[in-house]
Amino acid sequence: MITTTRRDFLKTAALSGAALVIGFDGRRVFAAESRFQPNGWVRIDPDGAVTLTVGKSEMGQGVRTALAMMLADELGADWSRIKLVQASPGPAPFDDLGTGGSGSMEEGWAMMRPAAAAAREMLITAASTEWHVSPDECKSGDGAVVHPASQRRIEFGGLVAAASKLPIPKKPAMKAKGEFALIGKRTGRIDGHDIVTGRAHYGIDTKVPGMLHVSVERPPWKGAQPKRMNEAKARAVRGVRDILLLERGIAVLAGNTWAAIKGRDALAVEWSEAPNDAFDSAAHAKRLGAAAREKGYSTRSEAAPAGTPAIARTIEETYSYPFYAHAPLEVMNCFAHVQGDRCKIIVPTQAPNRVQKEVADLLGTTADKVEVQVTLIGGGFGRRLAADYALEAAEISRAAKAPVQVLWSRADDMKHGHFQAASAHYLAAGLDSKNQPVFWKHTKAGSFHNLSAIEPDEVRDAAWYRGWSWGVYDVPYAIPAIETAYVPVDVPVKHGPWRAVFAPSSVFARESFLDEVARASGTDPLTFRLQLLEKPATFKIGRRDIDRRRLRRVLEMVRDKSGWGEKLPAGHGRGVACNIYSGTTHIAYVVEVAVANPGAVKVKRVVAAVDCGLVINPAGVEQQMEGGIIWGISSALKGEITFKNGAAEQSTYSDFEVARMNDTPEIEVHIVQSDDAKEPFGMGEPPVPPIVPAIVNAVFAATGKRIRQLPITPKLLA
Amino acid sequence: MRSYALTINGTRHEVEVDDDTPLLWILRDSLGLTGTKFGCGVGVCGSCTVLENGQAVRSCQVPASDAKGRSFVTIEGLSGDGSHPCQRAWIEEDVAQCGFCQPGMILTACSLLRDHPHPTDAQIDAAMSDSVCRCGTYWRMRKAIRRAAALMQEEKS
Repeated sequence: MITTTRRDFLKTAALSGAALVIGFDGRRVFAAESRFQPNGWVRIDPDGAVTLTVGKSEMGQGVRTALAMMLADELGADWSRIKLVQASPGPAPFDDLGTGGSGSMEEGWAMMRPAAAAAREMLITAASTEWHVSPDECKSGDGAVVHPASQRRIEFGGLVAAASKLPIPKKPAMKAKGEFALIGKRTGRIDGHDIVTGRAHYGIDTKVPGMLHVSVERPPWKGAQPKRMNEAKARAVRGVRDILLLERGIAVLAGNTWAAIKGRDALAVEWSEAPNDAFDSAAHAKRLGAAAREKGYSTRSEAAPAGTPAIARTIEETYSYPFYAHAPLEVMNCFAHVQGDRCKIIVPTQAPNRVQKEVADLLGTTADKVEVQVTLIGGGFGRRLAADYALEAAEISRAAKAPVQVLWSRADDMKHGHFQAASAHYLAAGLDSKNQPVFWKHTKAGSFHNLSAIEPDEVRDAAWYRGWSWGVYDVPYAIPAIETAYVPVDVPVKHGPWRAVFAPSSVFARESFLDEVARASGTDPLTFRLQLLEKPATFKIGRRDIDRRRLRRVLEMVRDKSGWGEKLPAGHGRGVACNIYSGTTHIAYVVEVAVANPGAVKVKRVVAAVDCGLVINPAGVEQQMEGGIIWGISSALKGEITFKNGAAEQSTYSDFEVARMNDTPEIEVHIVQSDDAKEPFGMGEPPVPPIVPAIVNAVFAATGKRIRQLPITPKLLA
Repeated sequence: MRSYALTINGTRHEVEVDDDTPLLWILRDSLGLTGTKFGCGVGVCGSCTVLENGQAVRSCQVPASDAKGRSFVTIEGLSGDGSHPCQRAWIEEDVAQCGFCQPGMILTACSLLRDHPHPTDAQIDAAMSDSVCRCGTYWRMRKAIRRAAALMQEEKS
C-alpha cells in the first residue's frame, strides 16, 4: 500500500533559459535553488507553450486531464496549448511520485494549484509593471494577461522574460470557486485523440534499438524447481538468442516477441510436484470462516449508552469473499537496460519511486543511477504498485548485458500477480423488542498485503488494524453498540492492492448483512439506512470524519431517481447499498436485476449517486462511476481466482471471466455536489465497494435467496 | 523464415518471418504499428482486432502463412487524423479510459456498422461481446456506436 501523505516537497523553481519554471510544496512556493534545472510542475516558454509536469500515472482514471485542468484553470492558460510531461522520479519534488488510494485529486488540489497561482501572479505583476497599472486591475485567461480597463493584452510568452526575474510569491492567492473557467466543465480526455488513432504509447509499445524480447517461465508456486525442460529445442527456435536460468524463472531471450514466446513453449518445463500442504483456496476459505469467529484485534468498541433497550433477538451470518486478479488489458511488461552501475527502465507503473529504489537495491547501486520513465498504463487497478516485473527485467538485462523488454503472457499475468486476498466476515446484529438495531458486530478475517515485508517494529495498535479493515470499522450507521475486529490469517501466495484496496470485501459483507437486518426488522432497506444515518450528523472514527448527511443525500437521490418501491415484473428485484470511501467520496446505488431460470442474473439498470466533493471534470466522474459499476458486475457475477497445488488455476479471460458488453446494464449517474464543497476527492476506487452488495440485495429481492459468497453462480441460486 | 508480402493500410510490405508468426507480431515487431495491441494471444479479448475488407479479424489468430497476399487496415490506417465517424464518436462520447483496448473496440465497431448501419442493442451485444475492456467503458461505447451510425448516415446524405 502506498501511503499518500501530504509531505513537504522541496521546491524547485528554476529559471531554465528564458522559461519560467515553478515548483511548489503545497504550503509555499520556493525560490530557485539552482538555475538551469528544469524541474518543476509548470513551465512557460517564450513562445507561450505551457508545459505541465504530471507526477501521477495515467491508467484510465483520467488523472492527466483532471490535474491539467486544475493547473490550467489556476494559471489562466489556453487549454489548447497545454502540453503534458510525465514526471520521472528524481530529487524533490519528484521523490514521492505514486498513484494509489484515489488520492490524486485531493493531493493535486492542495499541492499543485499553488504553483500555477504563483506563476499567474508573476505574469500579472510583469504585465502590470509594463503597463504601469495596479496588478489588481489585471487578470489572466486564455493564455494571456489582460487589463480590461484599457483593453490591453499580452500573451504569456511575451511576459516570461520579465516574470522569471520576479521574486516568487510566498502565498499566492488562489481562485475562488466562482472564478473557475475549466473546473466543473465536461472536458474530453487530454490523450483522447492519441487513443483513438493508435498513437497512445503504453509500456508494451516501447521499442529501443538492439532490445531483446524476453518471455519468462516462472515457477508455478514458490520454491518449485524445474525437473525437466528441453533447452536444446528452445535454443533451436529461430531468433532465440539465449536462455537464462534465474531464481525468478527461466528467461528466453530472442530477437523478436514471437521467437521468445515460441522458445519458451519449446522449453516445455516440467516443475517439481507441489508439496501436500501446498496452498489450496477452498481449504483457505474454511480457515478464514473459522477465524472470523475469533475475537481478533478490536478496531472499534462502543458500548451501548445507559438506557439502550435490551437485545431481544440476534441474527448472525458469515460472508465469504474470494480471490480476484486485476487482469488489466495491458499485461505486465518492462524495458530495462543495465549498463555498469546505471540502469534505464521504461515501465507502466503506479509506483515510479518504488521501482527506482528497488531496482537500485537489486543492482547494488543508488537510486540516482536508475532512470525510470513512466508510460501510459493499460489498466493499473493496484497491480502496478508492485515492482516485481521491473526487478525481473533489470535482473535479466544485467545477466544478458543487453537492453531487454520482458513481456508477460496473459496466463503469466493471471497466475503471477498479487491477488485481491480472500476474506471472511462474521456479522451479528441485535434487535430490541421493537425491532430496532441496538448492537452491531463485524469481524474481518483477512490478510495483510505481502508485497513488501511489514516492518517488525511497527506498532500494531487499533489504528494499525483499522488500516487493514476499511469498510469494517468505519461503518457509518448509528447503532448504540458497535464492535469491530480484525483477525489476520496468513496467505502464502502474493496478494496486495486491488481496485478499492481493502474495502470491497468488507462493504460487500456489511451492506449485504445490513439488508438482512433491515428485513429482519421489517423495514424497507433504503428507509432503514436513512433512519440509521439521522443523528448525530457527523462523527469521527480513527482518522476519519464521517458526515452522515452527505451519505443520506446520495441515498435520497437514488431513491428518488430509481423508482424505489415501484412494482417490478416477476423475477426482477431492486437492491440498494452505499458507502463512504476513505471518509471522502460518498456513493449510493440502486440496482435492478432480472433472474432467469436457472439462476442467470442479469443486471438491468443501475441508478447511481455520487458526492466526491468539488467536481473537476464531470465526464471523468461519470466514467469512473460507470467503470466501477462494470468492475463490480465482474466480481459479483463473473470470475474468481482459485488455487490448487499452490498455483492459480485460471489463465485467461475465458476462465477468469470479466463483464463484457452483453453484461452491461443501463447506467444513470447523478452527481450530488454540495454547495460547500471546497476540494475534490478521488473517483478511481470509490465506485467499486458498494456495487456488489447492491447486486446481492437485488438478487434477494428478486428471488428470496440470500447470497453470502461470491461470485454469484446459478448453483448458489438453485 | 520466409518472405511474405501483405498490404497494410494500403501499403504493400515484404516481411521476413516464420510461417507461424501471427499477424499481430508482424504488425507490432516487423512494421512498428503498435496501435494494434496484444491482450491475450488466444483470441478471447479483441485487443488485436484489425479489419480485412471491413470485417473484424483477430490478428493474433492469423499466421503469416495465412496472411500473405491479404490486405488489412489497422487503427493507424482507419483515417490517419481521427476523422472516421467511429473515432469522432468515441471522442464525443468520452469513451476511453486507459484506452488500451480501444483500437480493437473501434475497429470491431466499424465492422459491426458495416454489416448493420443501424444496429439494435442485440446486434451491438453480439458484435462487441467478444472483446474485453477492463476499465468498463461499455456503456459509453454503446452510445458512441449509435452516434457513429448517425454520423455515417449524415456523411452519406
